[in-house]
Amino acid sequence: MITLDVQNLESGYGEVKVLWGVSIKVKKGELTTIIGSNGSGKTTFLKAIMGIIPVWNGKIIFNGEDVTKLSTHSKVEKGIVMIPEGRLIFPEMSVLENLEMGAYTKRAMDRMQDSLDLVFSLFPRLKERIQQKAGTLSGGEQQMLAVARGLMSVPEILILDEPSLGLAPKLTIEIFETIKKLKNEGVTMLLVEQNVHLSLAITDYAYVMAEGKIVLEGTGEELERSDEVRKAYLGI
Amino acid sequence: MIDVWVDSIIGGLLLGLVYGLAAIGLNLIWGVMKVINLSHGAFMALGMFVIYLLFTAFGIFPYFGLVIVIGLGLVLGMLTYFVALHRVIDAPELSTLLATFSVSLFIIGVGTFVFTTIPYAIDISLGSISFGNITILGTKVATGLISIAFTAILYVFLYKTRLGKAIRAVSMNRVAAELMGVNTTFILALSFGIGIALAMSAGALIATIFPFTILSGGVYELKSFVICVLGGLGSPLGALVGGIVLGMIENVVTLQIPTSYVPVIEFSILVLILLLKPSGLLGGKV
Repeated sequence: MITLDVQNLESGYGEVKVLWGVSIKVKKGELTTIIGSNGSGKTTFLKAIMGIIPVWNGKIIFNGEDVTKLSTHSKVEKGIVMIPEGRLIFPEMSVLENLEMGAYTKRAMDRMQDSLDLVFSLFPRLKERIQQKAGTLSGGEQQMLAVARGLMSVPEILILDEPSLGLAPKLTIEIFETIKKLKNEGVTMLLVEQNVHLSLAITDYAYVMAEGKIVLEGTGEELERSDEVRKAYLGI
Repeated sequence: MIDVWVDSIIGGLLLGLVYGLAAIGLNLIWGVMKVINLSHGAFMALGMFVIYLLFTAFGIFPYFGLVIVIGLGLVLGMLTYFVALHRVIDAPELSTLLATFSVSLFIIGVGTFVFTTIPYAIDISLGSISFGNITILGTKVATGLISIAFTAILYVFLYKTRLGKAIRAVSMNRVAAELMGVNTTFILALSFGIGIALAMSAGALIATIFPFTILSGGVYELKSFVICVLGGLGSPLGALVGGIVLGMIENVVTLQIPTSYVPVIEFSILVLILLLKPSGLLGGKV
């Protein structure tokens, strides 16, 4: 079953076109990854999916429903949840308040206690810091909080934009282990990453993006074996 | 002699609380929307006339009339947001500055046409409280207490309710709040509505102690700016403290020097704070 079906998406900033007809499919319960170098349009693509920037052309189908024209908050209400690049936690709020904001929608609020239990079992460190101001957490803890906050929204699909960006290698591995755990829990995910090796190792299906287009696609294993990917991204 | 001083200090404190209330409105709008609201004073003047009309035309006692003023402020503020601000909210700050300035011109223009610029006053008495040689007017006490109550209610709203937390989230990061499922357009409109409701109710309270004209708002708007800079932009508590400082200065200093020097002192403070501690005494985020 297809959770998210993006068809021929075109978008950009002002007069500048960045996405030239991007199509991807995300299957329910699977981890789908988009890899690509800096400036290939990955983040722009996610912003367009969420409606943070307008879609110029193309369609976004979510669980069989056309959501192309919905506002960002309505998409979140439906269960399309994104953990943005750079974390964007609320620095002056406590860890708990940040998590409460994650469960802002009516749908998520009803399940807040279950979500809190899940989140604290995944990130016991956050439980210890529940009253601490989020802005005083370390970079790694802030990333954990951003993922936890996303889970609080009870996602039907969880979109992660470069979760390992700016993290030390040890924390990067920790984040990828968390993603793997979520995958085993059956969370449908769309991951955008620059860390090609680690993401291809855990992904079910992957797309390679370059200059605003999908240039290659296949299972994680297929892409890891492909000469193009090895040359361009793995440096082998 | 000491009685005169105590009298002035208490008077200044009570007056300062209502100045603080007005400044919190300005502060909230800046903190959440990054809009400098130049229609703040005009809405304060509007609040003065609404409470006056409710009292003289309908016989509604001003402290009960406040409820209507708040409701009206909320509605007018949200309406103003959608008419004047929504389309320019993401534009550079000059656009929102001009938009709120035009709202101010509109209110003052219509107000001058209807009420002219002659002074009005609300004639009510709550008696007075005396101890020793010190006498404090009941209306001033009521104004101070109501201002504290409103500030406390706002604080509880911002920190303890779901909607209040959404307002704070938007003030910290609008995109992130939208990604949590918050309708940020509604939150921006609501914040402007609350800011205007605070401005109008502060104006209404001031009208119960001082005479006023449709142009009176300008003076209080400037005071609000000084208070915000003094207390720190984005800090509601700072605005209250700043208000009290300003109220004290106004009441105590005028024992020694002519009243006409008060603005000189106020703006000297503004310049000094901007030079020495630009983040204000209690600067921080909402």
